[in-house]
Amino acid sequence: MVVDIDEGNLKQGLLGLVVALVEIIQEALEHQAFRRMESGRLNEKETERLGNALMELDEALEHIKKENDIEDAVKSVRDGLDRVADEVIGKMINPERWEDEIIKADKDSTG
Amino acid sequence: MADEKDTAGKVMHEEETSVKITDEGRYLYCVASSNSNENFADIGIDDSNVYTILYNDIAAVVHKCPAKPYESKDEKIVGEWILSHQYVTDEATKKFGTVMPFSFDTIIIGSDEEVKEWLKEGYSALKDKLEKVKDKAEYTVQIFSDRTAIMEKISENNPDIKKLKEDIKTKSKGMAYLLNKKLEAKVKDVFIDTLNRYAKDFHSHIKNYVEDIKVESTKKPVPDKWKGKQMIIDLSCLAHKGKVDELGKILDEINKKKEFSVRFTGPWAPFSFVGKETGGRK
Repeated sequence: MVVDIDEGNLKQGLLGLVVALVEIIQEALEHQAFRRMESGRLNEKETERLGNALMELDEALEHIKKENDIEDAVKSVRDGLDRVADEVIGKMINPERWEDEIIKADKDSTG
Repeated sequence: MADEKDTAGKVMHEEETSVKITDEGRYLYCVASSNSNENFADIGIDDSNVYTILYNDIAAVVHKCPAKPYESKDEKIVGEWILSHQYVTDEATKKFGTVMPFSFDTIIIGSDEEVKEWLKEGYSALKDKLEKVKDKAEYTVQIFSDRTAIMEKISENNPDIKKLKEDIKTKSKGMAYLLNKKLEAKVKDVFIDTLNRYAKDFHSHIKNYVEDIKVESTKKPVPDKWKGKQMIIDLSCLAHKGKVDELGKILDEINKKKEFSVRFTGPWAPFSFVGKETGGRK
């Protein structure tokens, strides 16, 4: 099979992947920031600084995405990963989540 | 039905017991309650002659064919076969009342005698199934949700989300940014919980109007008419003919809400309710 690599395409794909990964790291950092904020390990000033830094990172990423026209490439990486994660943890609109409850309730009511 | 394609080209199962090798077969459309032999003329797959093989008061609706599955790489041809299969099932339903349908490409190896033998062996199970589906039909109920309408409702009604939104207004820029991210995550969680709760409520409500109900997977493409919406529930319902109007009415009520759209299709032959235990032997 011949793989047809177009330079523009490759750049978009690769950059899309990198930005998607940075976004994921950013979200992990944000998650940590909450926990520290809520546990009181960060005072208001520190929280503000951290929030600002993360916001700037967010803006920078948005800028990079727009400038390089890789919004779709990033989205497709993220959607793919989200789908895998959702399926693994069952966090989605999914009858399996409530079907068992119903079966159990039926059994209880019929004795 | 929607998954016609999935059942196409299924490989015929080998006869379980080793009977004498024969190249004769009977393509089985359905089993019906009947007291006499009937001939349906040439309405079957590839214009085959469709007739019934009777045992006691039940009959297999079949046509004569070689003992090998119908297979084709041409989707158009397979599509026509499936339509013919569906058509014969519909005609048999008109004639005999609700039938016990079989999936496409169910072939009994042997002659009329083997089919009769098969009816005889499975008689009580087949009879039970036919009793169960008598005067009933299968309907499909799919409910789709509108993301924007649900989101609106959530942000109006959920106290945690309302409070968080108020909080954010009073905070400085960096803090507000973090809280906004928290809000997004919270909204997503509440959204999924809300839809699952709705789905569960719809199921318990609809259940009261049908004889039997099966929850199907919602992991399937949404029809074009509802593109952009999310399927939250997909039910196969076995409904009594006299109760279908009532079911239709409650579905209308759901459909009137701006958050939901309902797709209600049928009547179908009761494919989802005749089980594998009688349909598996081929």
